[in-house]
Amino acid sequence: MMNSGASNNMMSSASASGNNAQPPGLKTYFKTIEGKYKLQYEKTHPAGLLHYAHGKTVTQVTVAHLKDKPTQTPSQSSSSLGVSSGVRSAASRLWSVGNGRALSFVAGNGGSKPVSGSTTRIGSLGASSSNNVVGNPNFDGKGTYLVFNVGDAIFVSDLNSQDKDPIKSIHFSNSNPVCHAYDPDAKDGHDLLIGLNSGDVYSVSLRQQLQDVGKKLVGAQHYNKDGSVNNSRCTCVAWIPNGDGSFVVAHADGNIYVYEKNKDGSGDPSFPVIKDQAHFSVSHARYSKNPVARWHICQGSINGIAFSADGAYIATVGRDGYLRVFDYKNEQLICGGKSYYGALLCCAWSMDGKYILTGGEDDLVQVWSMEDRKIVAWGEGHNSWVSGVAFDSYWQASNSDGVGESTVYRFGSVGQDTQLLLWDLEMDELVVPVRRAPGGSPTFSTGSQSSHWDSACPVGTLQPAPSMRDVPKLSPLVAHRVHTEPLSGLIFTQESLLTVCREGHVKIWTRPVSSESQSSGNSDSLTSSSLKVSGSGYKQ
Amino acid sequence: MGVGGSKLEKALGDHFPEGERYFGFENFGNTCYCNSVLQALYFCVPFREQLLEYYSNNKSQGDGDENLLTCLADLFSQISSQKKKTGVVAPKRFVQRLRKENDVFRGYMHQDAHEFLNFLLNQLVEILEKAPHKVKGEDVPNGPCNGGQVNGLVKQEPPITWVHNTFQGILTNETRCLRCETVTARDEIFLDLSIDIEQNSSITSCLKNFSSTETLNANDKFFCDKCSSLQEAQKRMRIKKPPRILVIHLKRFKFMEQLNRHKKLSYRVVFPLELKLSTTVGDADSEYSLFAVVVHIGSGPNHGHYVSLVKSHNHWLFFDDENVEIIDESAIQTFFGSAQEYSTNTDHGYILFYESLTADDKQ
Repeated sequence: MMNSGASNNMMSSASASGNNAQPPGLKTYFKTIEGKYKLQYEKTHPAGLLHYAHGKTVTQVTVAHLKDKPTQTPSQSSSSLGVSSGVRSAASRLWSVGNGRALSFVAGNGGSKPVSGSTTRIGSLGASSSNNVVGNPNFDGKGTYLVFNVGDAIFVSDLNSQDKDPIKSIHFSNSNPVCHAYDPDAKDGHDLLIGLNSGDVYSVSLRQQLQDVGKKLVGAQHYNKDGSVNNSRCTCVAWIPNGDGSFVVAHADGNIYVYEKNKDGSGDPSFPVIKDQAHFSVSHARYSKNPVARWHICQGSINGIAFSADGAYIATVGRDGYLRVFDYKNEQLICGGKSYYGALLCCAWSMDGKYILTGGEDDLVQVWSMEDRKIVAWGEGHNSWVSGVAFDSYWQASNSDGVGESTVYRFGSVGQDTQLLLWDLEMDELVVPVRRAPGGSPTFSTGSQSSHWDSACPVGTLQPAPSMRDVPKLSPLVAHRVHTEPLSGLIFTQESLLTVCREGHVKIWTRPVSSESQSSGNSDSLTSSSLKVSGSGYKQ
Repeated sequence: MGVGGSKLEKALGDHFPEGERYFGFENFGNTCYCNSVLQALYFCVPFREQLLEYYSNNKSQGDGDENLLTCLADLFSQISSQKKKTGVVAPKRFVQRLRKENDVFRGYMHQDAHEFLNFLLNQLVEILEKAPHKVKGEDVPNGPCNGGQVNGLVKQEPPITWVHNTFQGILTNETRCLRCETVTARDEIFLDLSIDIEQNSSITSCLKNFSSTETLNANDKFFCDKCSSLQEAQKRMRIKKPPRILVIHLKRFKFMEQLNRHKKLSYRVVFPLELKLSTTVGDADSEYSLFAVVVHIGSGPNHGHYVSLVKSHNHWLFFDDENVEIIDESAIQTFFGSAQEYSTNTDHGYILFYESLTADDKQ
């Protein structure tokens, strides 16, 4: 515990010194009821980079945990902004205990509580054994990395080092990389997907890129070469959870393509012409070639996709303002609905697959219930478009009474207003709205929409935009201006919260260190029964 | 028409809308403020249709008095009756007339596009109100508000012109005395909304601030008629009747007292392609769709250039004086403004035109 405390002090002083460059008005911490989130590290692209293409692309970040040793639990966690931030397996959480702690000397004890529970349950003592490596910063090609795109390049930074500059840059001559995803469970080494503005897609091994000293992609598998199948911009790439190396690519023209890693990479562009742009249709490739299927989702761009943690469902959001949730295997629309107005820009699942968050051009964060197949709450608090949403699957409600009975979900959102907002969703409180809609009726019992509002919506239908007065409102717990530029995404990790702005600056905020867990040792939390509840978002 | 037509025609190909004309306007020395607004108005379909209808109803009466209305009608009819689908016209008579009517626009200085739009719409209204012949249109109801009284500033029932029917909305300025709780409501008509802007915000947020509640206290108390004394009060501005065409003017030119001059705010203010306005009456929020943006290019208020982005038949077009190009919808985001004060991007959305999607025949 002494060590841990000391390293915490070291950290805060390090961040304080690193924060001299903070623009006026930007604080290096923000408070919630649990405590202070402190700015730990900043990552960005090299200062000299002022490519003409800079500013035309929006930076996205993917967190990639590279395997430490082959003998360790073969599981890592990955999350990608706006793409698969909700996608983590139970095993990946286990990994996070071991390595997240090992790699970050600021790990503290507070952040590990829920996962300690899961560790115990799964029966691994990984957490305690990996504590041996506390203090060993990983500069050796193993560990946790940030993959982010800026202009015509992909940068890779070591998440747990103080270096602001990336350790690797990969330049693309043909088009700008715009989206990426990492699969910790990839079997044959190709674990990183990169989607380009030209529609091209690459799959590569991240380790191989890190081992190579050049500035080009090495050992890449190239899909949709020169946009031969689809030449519209890639908007999102995602590995299919438990999909055996299959992945999907969403495009700006409203199509999603399914690829299988072990199939021939050369394109088979012979998909039939889409007859009705406004309707959902799926076509399969006639030969066993990539892409194996095309899903036409909607008119206009698909702005975000996210698989549920088990891979059963895929959610899409797009220019037309609709969230759509599909049964992935059966290729069927399950539910969905329209924003208050304007395009939707991002979406994310809760770990248990019960809720979906969306954010968009109406400045609202929407909470969707899969059980009810409709919007259950609107989060009001952003002053501009909402560009990133994520559930904090590592968060657990404080041990006060009621835990385990009423489920509380913690989630975050970032917007083009440069703000990060944190929210709590407590379903018990939503049934009777906490706050009355201005001028509207406080409950669902009156108003024109009441009749169908009370009941779940039928399967396979899309809901129209609800009226402002009919949706319960949420207020944020905290709103913090984290960057000077509009934000493009956020990721929750075991120890921290990552925010990224459109221009390619990443900030890493450490979670509050709870005083309670400081007083109790690690072994205590491992056996504490209350921790087995393991938080709201945890997939059982 | 030449072989294959213009570049724009080639770009549109078979998608060139039936009967539509895309013509650039010649610049007569810093008249881009005028050109950009006129393009936005031309592609404001209800306005154009009513103006052309007015033109066909009135041209038979012979060339009586020339005014801004007749000059504008002439210009629009000149475009719509072109044989070619694309090209350039010279709005010479209109600009001459404009310079005659208002000496502000007489010089060759850079002018404010919003000032011009405001002047033009008010002139049109004035001309139509004076016109002896009856214009169609119903009176806008101006009944008292719930629990309040109307200190109507609406003039002695002037005729409601088609310009009113297109652009006019009603704001209600509600003041609630914190002592007796009486709400005093005062209605104001508007042809456009001028809103204050903030860095890294959205139009939604700026509109919210526009109608947010403000407390009147200390030296700024409210004289309550019922209490017959100065009282603390809460004031808010709400939209009572949303207009058919919602024109939003972003106050990018701000007077800086310490500098004693105007400064351009290059703030990044995002505007969605669809928008909803909550109103004081009715269940449904009125829904709007963006169809034109007047863009100011330049770092200062006294120089620069104006262009416009216009949506016509689901295509976005870029009008820069005589040049007309087709652009992708996604290019609109390059006109939001800059997140940093000193930026090379100086192309900023300045006047936004939204059209109502709500069936509003009754209005």
